[in-house]
Amino acid sequence: MAMNHVIADPRSGTQASVPLPAARRIDVDGIGTRYYEAGSGETIVFIYGGSFGTSDSASSAHTWNLNLLPLAGRFRVIAFDKIGQGHTDNPKHDDYTMAAVVRHGAGFLRAMRLPPVHLVGHSRGGYAAARLTLEHHDLVRSLTLVNSGTLSPGVGTNEVVLARPPFPKGSAECVRWVYRNYSFNPAAVTDDWVATVLEVLALPKYRQSIERVEGARLGATLFLPALAREKRETLQWINEGRLQRPVQVIWGSEDRTATLSRGLELFHMLARHERRVQFHAFAQAGHFPFREHPARFNALLGQFVAASAA
Amino acid sequence: MLMRRSIQVNGAATAVLATADCVAPLVLLSGGMPGVTPYCSGPHIWGRSLDVLAHERDVLAFDLGSAAGEPGADLGIDVLLGHVRATLAALGITRCHVIAHDLAGLIALLLAAESPTLIRGVSVVSSVAAAPSGDGIDNLCFAHPPLPQWSRAAQRWALEQVSYSHQHIDGALLDACVAAAATSSVARDDFFMPSLYAAKASLYEICRGAGVPVPVQTIWGSHDPLGALEQGLALYQIIAARQPATQFHVLNRAGSLPFREEPEAFLQVVRAFGEVVFPG
Repeated sequence: MAMNHVIADPRSGTQASVPLPAARRIDVDGIGTRYYEAGSGETIVFIYGGSFGTSDSASSAHTWNLNLLPLAGRFRVIAFDKIGQGHTDNPKHDDYTMAAVVRHGAGFLRAMRLPPVHLVGHSRGGYAAARLTLEHHDLVRSLTLVNSGTLSPGVGTNEVVLARPPFPKGSAECVRWVYRNYSFNPAAVTDDWVATVLEVLALPKYRQSIERVEGARLGATLFLPALAREKRETLQWINEGRLQRPVQVIWGSEDRTATLSRGLELFHMLARHERRVQFHAFAQAGHFPFREHPARFNALLGQFVAASAA
Repeated sequence: MLMRRSIQVNGAATAVLATADCVAPLVLLSGGMPGVTPYCSGPHIWGRSLDVLAHERDVLAFDLGSAAGEPGADLGIDVLLGHVRATLAALGITRCHVIAHDLAGLIALLLAAESPTLIRGVSVVSSVAAAPSGDGIDNLCFAHPPLPQWSRAAQRWALEQVSYSHQHIDGALLDACVAAAATSSVARDDFFMPSLYAAKASLYEICRGAGVPVPVQTIWGSHDPLGALEQGLALYQIIAARQPATQFHVLNRAGSLPFREEPEAFLQVVRAFGEVVFPG
């Protein structure tokens, strides 16, 4: 869709730099964990996507900067760095697995002594959020899944769309290229977003994770095979009706890495067993609808959380 | 607090439900094809959703069936569109957000394209009339209705046919539907259907060209017997091609009346959309 043929959307909300509250740290079962927290009320915990040890991009809790403070007026909002990502310590004993990510996420909720929370998981974080809910229903009040190809059935196209970036790995050009290919509107990839990714990529502990995941090939020999096995089990559990919480599936329609049809298929799987399931699509949004249309995303999330409150 | 008012629209008395202040309201337009749909719609069709919204903000509700004109006369989309336009003008409304069900969804989109300063946002609900159908197979939902038409029993049957569950169909709804049958206009099929197809073509031409100029959300029940989910999705995608503030919502375990079967989920998505595109 050509950008010069679309109508300007003043209601998308600002995509300029929005500050985060001051970063804090907490020990989660021996893993130093960075998180951001603001507001009071029903607790929303955000889990971002991506994975540890990748050299062309690097996610962190900053991904949610357009959502955290805007929602903090009504809710207690928390975004933490997953194990091995952002400014959180790397896993011990080379445990670069999704199971470790889920275990650390559940450990974070317990260490923070949080009430049952409203989990929001994006992409690989959507898988982690769903799996965490399946394993620990007592920690979760509702679940919001955003463009999660990792959780959805069907064929993912990340490896096609993002294959071999035409810029040196770790460079600003490479990072910008990756996130622009994820997005519908290239302007959504702001300089501050790119800068925070570069900051993480430069951390010594992150360089170490790249060495283990890419250099020692733990990504191909450990992370991906284990995730494939666990995903089979996770989808089986969902098909059996074990995900017994309100769920909304939110999708950016123009995501080329996790297509809309996969989001609908995930919705149908969930909706067979649980009444309180909804599907929402945002037009002219790619993999990050909460960054491309933050105002309308925040409104939708706020209403869902309010309706699912204790 | 909703009050029933009678206003003059094009020289004819028209009944509306409205809150005391009604300057920049949420307008709930009920649909149904006059004289064709085997249940008789009107503001009553919104059920609890209308009452809840009226407690939160200014609300106006009326239906297409009260369009002026001789029974059986040339009642087409243009007349219905004119009726909505004239009703809003008669009430002095200069800006609003329209939530439109079924046939009213098509009317609301056309009116928004014509008057974007008046219609600031549209929530299209289960609107098979607005959705593309192509050379699809015929829908058998209303194939063999009991007689007499629009009797209490026939309307109960029709409402059950379009629902996921019959639980929302109560005596108050049936009373209101039977009452609405007495006042509804009747369209001549040989005139109305060509006008409907012409109006759909106009909408798609707009979507292909300049686009619908205001934000639109399309809301669909997961088990709509009248319109497949694919039709709702296609309508969303047609509008989304030019209008960036477009959303699609699927509410689980609901048929063609999702605001009755899943009112909490319905209110949630309407409120979320409204608080950004038309805070009032």
